[in-house]
Amino acid sequence: MKKLLSRLMAGALVTGMITGTAVSAVSAAESTVTSAAESMAEVSTVILKEADDNMINTYSLLAVNPDAPFVDADGNPVSDVTLNTAGAEALIDWFLSEEAMTLAAEYGQEEYGDSLFYLLEGAPVFEGEIAPASEETSVIRLSTTTSVNDSGLLGALLPVFESEYGYTVEVQSAGTGKAIAAAKDGNADLILVHAKSQEEEFVDGGFSYVLPGFESERLSFLYNYFVLCGPSDDPAGVKDCESVLDAFAAIADGKYPFISRGDGSGTHTKELSLWPEALGITDAPESFADYTDWYTSANAGMGACLVMAEEMGAYILTDKATFLTFQANGGNM
Amino acid sequence: MLTSLQKAIELILTGNRELGNILLVTARMCLASSLISLLIGAPVGIWLGAAEFPGRRIFVVIFRTLMGMPPVVCGLLMYMLFSGVGPFRKYKLLFTVTIMVIAQVVLITPLVIANMETYVSSLAQTVKETAKGLDFGFWKTLLLLANECVYPLFSTYLLAFARSVAEVGAVSMVGGAIAWKTNVMTTAIMLYTNRGDFTLGVALGIILIAISLLVNIAVTVMQRRLSR
Repeated sequence: MKKLLSRLMAGALVTGMITGTAVSAVSAAESTVTSAAESMAEVSTVILKEADDNMINTYSLLAVNPDAPFVDADGNPVSDVTLNTAGAEALIDWFLSEEAMTLAAEYGQEEYGDSLFYLLEGAPVFEGEIAPASEETSVIRLSTTTSVNDSGLLGALLPVFESEYGYTVEVQSAGTGKAIAAAKDGNADLILVHAKSQEEEFVDGGFSYVLPGFESERLSFLYNYFVLCGPSDDPAGVKDCESVLDAFAAIADGKYPFISRGDGSGTHTKELSLWPEALGITDAPESFADYTDWYTSANAGMGACLVMAEEMGAYILTDKATFLTFQANGGNM
Repeated sequence: MLTSLQKAIELILTGNRELGNILLVTARMCLASSLISLLIGAPVGIWLGAAEFPGRRIFVVIFRTLMGMPPVVCGLLMYMLFSGVGPFRKYKLLFTVTIMVIAQVVLITPLVIANMETYVSSLAQTVKETAKGLDFGFWKTLLLLANECVYPLFSTYLLAFARSVAEVGAVSMVGGAIAWKTNVMTTAIMLYTNRGDFTLGVALGIILIAISLLVNIAVTVMQRRLSR
C-alpha cells in the first residue's frame, strides 16, 4: 500500500504541473519519503518457471519490402512509399556478422552475471562486406519491440555499428503488434521482433523480401527465454508443476491473479498460446470477460506490467531480460 | 522520492548528455509550438471577442470544443496524414520535431483563441464606449483594445506553454520518442516508467517542474512590468 501511495504521488508530481498544484503535491510526497524508501528495498516477484521448451523466445530481423502492397487508411493502394532499403540491408548484414553476434551474446554478463540473449543455433551468418553509409542511406528507421530496447541491447550494439559505418539508426520501440503495424504503414525500413505467427503473417502479406545472400525473409538470430514470475510464496504452486502449460492451468484453476500485457506484443502472443485451450482466451476482450476477477489485461509495457504484478502479488509472463533489469532497478525504487 | 530527488540533482550536476539532448529538444518544441499558437491564436481570439457579426457564437463554440480535443486523437490524425502511406507522405515529416510542433499548434491554438475571446468579449463593450466618447477612429480603438490585452496575453502564453510542455499523447504518437531526435521530457518519463525505472522517471519530472517554474517566474515578471 505504501508503494502504491508513493507511486500515485509520483504520478501526481508529473500531472501536477498541468493543474498548477505541483507545489502542494511535492510537499505531500516528501512526507512519505522515509517509509516508502524502506519498503521498496526489495522486489518480491521472483522467477518461478524458466528454460522450458515452450518458453523459447526467438528474435527475428525482417527487411521491409519496398514493393509491398502498401495501402492508405481507406484501403487505397500506395505505390511511392520511400524506404531506405540499402540502409536496412547494411544493418541486417551487420546484425548477422560475427562482430554483432559476439557483442549480443556477451551482453548482460557484466551487469547481471548472465547473458540476456543467446545465439540461435543455425542462425544465418553474414561474412561479406557491409556497405558504408552514403548521403541518401544514412538514416535507418528500425521498428522494434520494447523488450529489445528496454533491455539495453540496442543501446550497447548500435553505437558500434553507427560509428563504424556512418549510419544513424532511429529506433522506435513498441509492442510487436504495433512495431509491425508501423512497418506496414511505411514508417520503418526494417523490424526486429519476436512473434512468429505475426511475422509469418507479415511475410505472407508480401511486406518482407529475401535479401541477397540469405534464404528466408525471417532472419531469426537471437533467442532467450520467457520466464513465468510471481510472488515468492507461490500460492498456485507453479514451481512444482511439470511444465509451464501445467503451471498456467494451475493459475487458471485456482483463479490466482495474473497480469497480461494485453497489447498485442510478442510476450502477449506467447502468453495466449500457453493457456489451456478450454478457457478460450484470445486477444479479443470478450474472450476473457468472464475471467476479470483474476485475469488483468493491462495494455501496458513490460516494465509497467511488472510493477503491477509486484503490487498485486500476481503471476506474470515476461522476457527474462526486462525482468532482470526490473529487478536490478527495483532495489532503489 | 528522496532517491529520485537525489538522482535529479545528480543528473543535472553530472551534465548527462542524453538529458541535455532531451532538454534541448523539449525547449525547441515547446517554444516553437507555444509561440506559433500565440501568434495565430491571439489575433483571432481578440478579433472574435470584439467583432460583431452573425454566426460569431458558432465560431466560439467550435473553438471551445476544439479545446477539449484529446492530444492522442490529434496525434493519431497527424500520424495518419503524414505516415508513409498517408496523403502528405512526400513531406517526410513523421518522427521529426517539426511534425510534433505542428500537432501541438493544432492542439493549443484553439485554447489561445478561446481564452483571449473570453477576456476580450468581457471588456469590448467598455472599450468601444470609451473610444466613442473620445471620438477615436477604428485604428485608435484597436490600439486601446490591444493595450488592455497585454496582461491576459502573458497568462494565455503561459497556458499555451504549460499545455505544450506537459503534453505527451500527441508528441509520442507523431514523434516516436526516438532517442537523440524526438525524445522530449514527457515521452522520456513514459519510456522510463514503462521500463519500470520509476526513479529516473520522477527525477525527470522534478526537472520538468523546475523548468516550468523558471519560465513562469520569468513570464510573470515580464507581465507585471509591461502591463503597468
